[in-house]
Amino acid sequence: MAEGEGLVLEGFLCPICKVDFGSAPKLLSHFEKEHNEDKDVIQAFKDFFDKAKNKILKNEMGSGVDSEVQTSRKVLGYSPSLYKPQPLGAVRSHMSYFNTVRSHHLEHYTVETNKLLIRLDKILKNLPSDPLKRKSHEQQVVPWVDEKMVRLCPSCSRSFHLARRKHHCRLCGFVMCNDCSYSLDLDVARKMTSPVSQVQAASEFHGSTSLQQLKRSNSNSSLNSVMSLVEGVHQKLDLGLRVCKECLHLLECREALRESRAARPILLQFYERLRSYMQDASQFLPTYITMCNSLSYGESTYQLKEAQALWAKLLRLAENIDSLSKKILVLGSADTENPPRGRALQLQQQIRAAATAFLRDEMLGLPSLPTEAKYLEMQEQRRQELKARIQEEEMEAQAAMQLQKQRKERNQDRSVHDERANAHQDTVLLDSGWTPEKARLFSSDDPMVQQMNNLKHYIKEAKLAQRVDEVEALERNLQELQEEYWRQQERKRQAAED
Amino acid sequence: MTGSAKKGLSSLLSKWRSDRKYTTFDFNPVATFSPFKMNCISAVKMYITKMTDESGPGMKVLLMDKETTSVVSMVYGQSEIQQREVYLFERIDAGNQEPMKHLKCIAFLRPTKENIHSLAMELRRPRYGSYYIYFSNITPKADIKTLAEADEQEVVREIQEFYGDFLAMGPHLFSLGIPISYQSSGWDHDILTRCVQGVTSVLLSLQKNPFIRYQNNSKMAKRLAETIRQVLSKESELFEFRQSGSPPLLLILDRRDDPVTPLLNQWTYQAMVHELLTINNNRVSLAHVPGVSKELKEVVLSAEQDEFYASNLYLNFGEIGQTIKELMDEFQKRSKSNRKLESIQDMKNFVEAYPQFKKMSGTVSKHVVLVGELASLMERYNLLEVSETEQELSCQEAHSQHLQHIRRLLANEKVRHEDAAKLVMLYALRYENHSSNDTGGLIESLKRKGVSDRLVKMVRTVVEYGGAHARQSDLFGHQDAVVQVTKRFFKDLRGVENVYTQHKPLLVETLEDLAKGRMKETSFPFLGNNSNVATKRSQDIIVFIIGGATYQEALSVHQINQTPSLGIRVILGGTTIHNSTTFLNEVDAASTRSRVQNL
Repeated sequence: MAEGEGLVLEGFLCPICKVDFGSAPKLLSHFEKEHNEDKDVIQAFKDFFDKAKNKILKNEMGSGVDSEVQTSRKVLGYSPSLYKPQPLGAVRSHMSYFNTVRSHHLEHYTVETNKLLIRLDKILKNLPSDPLKRKSHEQQVVPWVDEKMVRLCPSCSRSFHLARRKHHCRLCGFVMCNDCSYSLDLDVARKMTSPVSQVQAASEFHGSTSLQQLKRSNSNSSLNSVMSLVEGVHQKLDLGLRVCKECLHLLECREALRESRAARPILLQFYERLRSYMQDASQFLPTYITMCNSLSYGESTYQLKEAQALWAKLLRLAENIDSLSKKILVLGSADTENPPRGRALQLQQQIRAAATAFLRDEMLGLPSLPTEAKYLEMQEQRRQELKARIQEEEMEAQAAMQLQKQRKERNQDRSVHDERANAHQDTVLLDSGWTPEKARLFSSDDPMVQQMNNLKHYIKEAKLAQRVDEVEALERNLQELQEEYWRQQERKRQAAED
Repeated sequence: MTGSAKKGLSSLLSKWRSDRKYTTFDFNPVATFSPFKMNCISAVKMYITKMTDESGPGMKVLLMDKETTSVVSMVYGQSEIQQREVYLFERIDAGNQEPMKHLKCIAFLRPTKENIHSLAMELRRPRYGSYYIYFSNITPKADIKTLAEADEQEVVREIQEFYGDFLAMGPHLFSLGIPISYQSSGWDHDILTRCVQGVTSVLLSLQKNPFIRYQNNSKMAKRLAETIRQVLSKESELFEFRQSGSPPLLLILDRRDDPVTPLLNQWTYQAMVHELLTINNNRVSLAHVPGVSKELKEVVLSAEQDEFYASNLYLNFGEIGQTIKELMDEFQKRSKSNRKLESIQDMKNFVEAYPQFKKMSGTVSKHVVLVGELASLMERYNLLEVSETEQELSCQEAHSQHLQHIRRLLANEKVRHEDAAKLVMLYALRYENHSSNDTGGLIESLKRKGVSDRLVKMVRTVVEYGGAHARQSDLFGHQDAVVQVTKRFFKDLRGVENVYTQHKPLLVETLEDLAKGRMKETSFPFLGNNSNVATKRSQDIIVFIIGGATYQEALSVHQINQTPSLGIRVILGGTTIHNSTTFLNEVDAASTRSRVQNL
């Protein structure tokens, strides 16, 4: 390869004239044309060329040197067979740390909230209607902070003067201005201090926890009658308790929590029923489909009646799902003043959409059961098929037997002296010839028959107990046993005839 | 409409076939591939499924941010997630006020400052009955504390990290949805952080604790690699997986090493749709197509939900046309047979077949419209001829011939300005240092053709972005004559499969080198002192390309995964998935910034 100038030439060079031809076929044709005087050289060159070609191609295929990877032209798309199920990726829970921080934090809140509730309860108890008396009563429960100590309102940091007077929070006793104070309605306050069970009872009785109704439910209490007297006399603020923002927030949070625990809107009840129907349906579906398939093949594993019952059940479920989801869709729309709007409406629509999708995907395409007549026909057909198969098998077995016989005879003819082998064959025949007799004699006590009887019994019991899975498994066992028994019997019969 | 589309299609098919100039050699197809356990889609999907499971039965709302919304929509269809009792979807930044105490809230959020803040506000005044919080990435303890203190009503039931912080574009393809990642001075801090989070979440979701190699000439690759390494060692507990066999490898590359691949016209279905119509989070807009029906204004192309798409996304245009035709024939046969519903039995059969029927009609019309649109674009802009020259430019060295071809195409009225500019860009890249380079002359012809200033300038910008100075690999095979000659040798031996798809991305060569242990440590060094690792071959490889990957590369990786002799399993990811338009935007943005900084 090295030339005189020490230059290294590479490429598709002709070994004789050292011209680069750029590609293999060109080089080969050039060589054949120009240097055809020496046949041996051509042959040698060709051999070398083939060898190189083979080697490179093989190499390419084996380890893919510059194979450009693609070996099959038709590229497959994604298919699930390419991917094994993988484990869930890494996860990390912060729950324990979160809990520690939260409970530490909440401890303070719970103590505070409870303190406020106790005070509230005390204030509400025997609350005098006279404003002056009331004030001293409130001060008795919660000591008020000395107002001279406070120059600025702690929440808006504005100074107090004639127009912006100082007020005390009735729950913590601290000072704030009028703008920063809130009024806690006494009825609401009373609701807060009453035990949970009482509130629930009241709300259940009236079907709502709205304020108006609560008031009515408590109307016979002495306190309320006192309040109704006061109502007209005092200013609006005096109706409630003056509280600061922080105390109000604490109480409200507790109230919201209590309410959300107690609340069970009608939508939720409907929805839970809908889900239970859907769960039932998806539970019955696979069973029905196997039953249906089996029946339409004319098999006797399942009773047609059972399948029909299941079908009816499924239909009923589908109807229920449909009507219930429709009910959810229109829930509250009769209330013309305040129909469900925005996200509430969207939620109802989505639930309905999910239910219809479920019905469409799971229930609509269900195969239908064969009719009674059709089923009988199928059964008959299957019986015929089975019979035909058995006969076929029989024929085959007989043919095989005959073949063996012929061969044996031939063998005997051909090699008389090979007696040992023949003797051996004879014994085999003799053995199999013995057993059927026995079997026939004790056929009723055959363990197989007993086993089959047992199985039939079990199946009956399982069917009574509505255990479809078990019935299925048992039926399969029984079928196998029966087939095996049949085969055994056939073999025995043949052997005996032989 | 279908009739005319079909007619156009068959004429096109015949054109495609007659345009195939070379014979094909079929080597024995790869028959067996063992399945493997790295699937981006299932990784994310399993996380979402787990979330819906953990919250138990009951109506649910899924609370997400902008990015996690895309993450979820890539793996779960709406009707599919409805069956898991998720009925409402809500953006955390939507500021919704309506309380619905009877709903359970699954919050799937990125752990950003804004999200933590909004979530803390939400917990202080909870609108839902209970909260199951999942962060898509590693969340600082301080943030957990903030939330715990906000949860005064004890509504939080779960708070966990589920590492679904990337867009699963396919089983072996992920994107971070960052359209522009370059800055002249290197990384933008926020984008670097997002990349680190994205890549580490991929590693965590697939349970991989890899060694890291990076492209040596790219400072950005090195910086990213180092930052990822820091996370791996800081969170070493999290990355303790039982790893059997060889250790996995994370390979970090820079788009600048191969600016050619994103510039080419594509001919495989998925890549072609993205190049010509743009796929955005699995969605393709067809609103501009005249006479398109309402429900096809925007179509979803998801391999998870569209079986036809899943099995055909890698076929080339000729093959997909054929398949569509068959599908249409069958559909017409069916719809015809369904039209004459004579007996009640007929109607019943029709109704029973209805779900499949409906599904099929949707699939057919969608793909017919798509392929029809592709075909008309290809016809209108003379794309076959353009593509042929592009492919030649990217694969062969033949200066005068190429110059002639480009000049001829520039003179052609049908050729789009974008395509013309891209041809000159490819020329400028290939013959950057050629003695008789005539980029200037071509730029003049572009101007004469009336190509916009921006595009004309882009020719120089692309060279600035990915010219010889920015590359470390031998993209065009100038230096290594032996490799070139053998390459040509093979091509002549086996014939070219298809003129329009002869280009193979540089990534293929890189991965083959890696598989055979030929990858040079000088070009792709290991991070840190890992001399003992170098001897071990990795089987599981995660490639991340700064500056975006392409669907063509995704296809190549798919093929590599199906080649058992290579013995590697690759997952490809990028800051985004580019087509030529988005790629040029990125190149442009990178350079404008640099120019501003230079001033």
